[in-house]
Amino acid sequence: MNRSDLAVALLFLLLGLLLWSSASAFPPGVGGLPGPGFFPRVIGIVMLAPAVALLAQAWRRPGPASGAARAKPVLFTVVLLAAYLALWDRVPFALRTLLLLALYLRCLGQRWRTALQVAFVLTASVVAAFEYGLRVSLP
Amino acid sequence: MMGSEIAAGAAAVLAGDVLAFLIAGTLLGAVFGALPGLTATMGVAILTPLTFWVSTEKGLAMLIGIYCGAIPAGGIPAVLINIPGTPASLAATWDGYPLARRGRPGLALGVNALFAWLGQFVSILFLALAAFPIASFGLRFGPAEYFALALFGISLMAGVSAGRLLKGLLAGFLGLALATVGLDPMTAYPRFTFSSAELLDGLAFVPVMIGLFGLGEVLARMMEGSPGSAAAPPALSRIWPGWAQLRRMAVPGLVGSGIGTLVGAIPAAGGDIASVIAWEQARRTSRRPEEFGHGSLEGLAASASAANAAIGGAMTTMLTLGIPGDAPSAVLIGALLIHGVQPGPLLFRDHRALVYSIIFLMLLAALLILALGLAGARPLARTLRIPEPWLWAGVIVLGIVGSYALNNSLADVWVMFGAGLLGLLCRRADVPVGPLVLGLILGPMMESNLRRALILSRGDWSALLRRPLVVLLLAAAAVSLAWPLWKAWRSRSYSDPSARA
Repeated sequence: MNRSDLAVALLFLLLGLLLWSSASAFPPGVGGLPGPGFFPRVIGIVMLAPAVALLAQAWRRPGPASGAARAKPVLFTVVLLAAYLALWDRVPFALRTLLLLALYLRCLGQRWRTALQVAFVLTASVVAAFEYGLRVSLP
Repeated sequence: MMGSEIAAGAAAVLAGDVLAFLIAGTLLGAVFGALPGLTATMGVAILTPLTFWVSTEKGLAMLIGIYCGAIPAGGIPAVLINIPGTPASLAATWDGYPLARRGRPGLALGVNALFAWLGQFVSILFLALAAFPIASFGLRFGPAEYFALALFGISLMAGVSAGRLLKGLLAGFLGLALATVGLDPMTAYPRFTFSSAELLDGLAFVPVMIGLFGLGEVLARMMEGSPGSAAAPPALSRIWPGWAQLRRMAVPGLVGSGIGTLVGAIPAAGGDIASVIAWEQARRTSRRPEEFGHGSLEGLAASASAANAAIGGAMTTMLTLGIPGDAPSAVLIGALLIHGVQPGPLLFRDHRALVYSIIFLMLLAALLILALGLAGARPLARTLRIPEPWLWAGVIVLGIVGSYALNNSLADVWVMFGAGLLGLLCRRADVPVGPLVLGLILGPMMESNLRRALILSRGDWSALLRRPLVVLLLAAAAVSLAWPLWKAWRSRSYSDPSARA
């Protein structure tokens, strides 16, 4: 059994059903013409066919040997980015970005000194290019 | 009339600041192409926001420079460290790297630059000659034909999903589903907006692209392996090939250019496929097929010219019909729309001077790349020493600021973040991202044209099938879907003895 493909197939099955049921609640078309729900409903239904075929295929075939994946740094980066966006209006852009990049680089194994230096150069370049060069107001 | 439009197109390009933007774009594109892990698609997506504040010509100059600069530069790491800088330069590793190992890295880079230029030049000629007739044919299209064309584009994308037909189809449907977010194009009824005012206009295309191809790619590469700086490239030797070598490479280079142009013009088939086909074709017709894969100059010339010729082919389909020929041109469509340029037949009727400007910009970018490839190979080779984490940090911060700068909206940054996670999941689950992008682009075109066609036919579906071109396109879509299925079934029948019995 290919677990990864199985999960993909189940996700798309669920998405297809959700699309179909949500779009069925949209108002119908006028004068026999398709309404706003027609296209998403068709996509939802049509999506079910390849999802079922993938499900059957995943059930029959063995999955590939899973390679080593480095999930921890990715998870840390995702949490870091979510925190960065949550603090968007509370911490000034330059400080927030400097911290984001320094922590990100540190998590990838860069030494603190290098991480801070690279983070500073990148932040300063972005502020110079966007705030002073392109006149974008960065919060 | 035509002469004045050509002159206007050339004059717009030759303005000093437009040229400066073209040079900057080409240099940035070359850096994105030369660094493994940064691709042409990512370059166009990440750097598009830098062009929001300039005129259409300057923005186009920069974006075309990035596109035309990244593909040939992808051959630099392919030759020097056996890692393709972009997917299109995969075949360049087969002969380029063995040449470098045999002490001729400079010659391999010189051949890559010369034949990249040849490929781009031939395909731009094709664009200049074929685009206007194709566009004038496209002007005869009604809503029904546009719907069928969009469906054909989607079916092709799934068909070339490299043995992942089912996942390609599902990705395409996901793109179509995401394209329905926002106000219904006919009745303005809000769909899947979850009461969010920001989603009424739909998902902003550029942040989605930045997320899928920028953040998503970075997260996927982080997950794959230990980051660090790439292997140190070897010192470069003589760059220019001799006359005898050039004569040997001329035919494979020209044939490769032709193959690349035609393959590039097929929606979704880009330089990666073109270069492999051209390399194989050159090997079959060569007098020295045994050299292929071991440092053949003919093999390198064929693959480099085809990979670059795909650019002009892809641009022809994209500009004339509004259907992207490959992933970078898909992102380019979004960027062009932001600059008020709607690719399609009407562009050739209403903005002919702009079309000539695009052709001139591509010709100039090809020349710049030739100069850069021959004179700038050494400094570009040095960029390979930059550690990957530094590059990834740059991509992340540019992605955040670029998404925000589009509308000064935090919601767009969240969209980029979500698209990045989606891109990561797709890569981990081996779901191709290309069909998803195509679905996003072609979804609105499909839906609005189908509904317009039905309004015109007063709800009569059979009226669609009374139009010969619609029938032809729908049949082509069916064949392009059935063909890979039939091929997969056939190969399984041959490999599985029980199936034969």
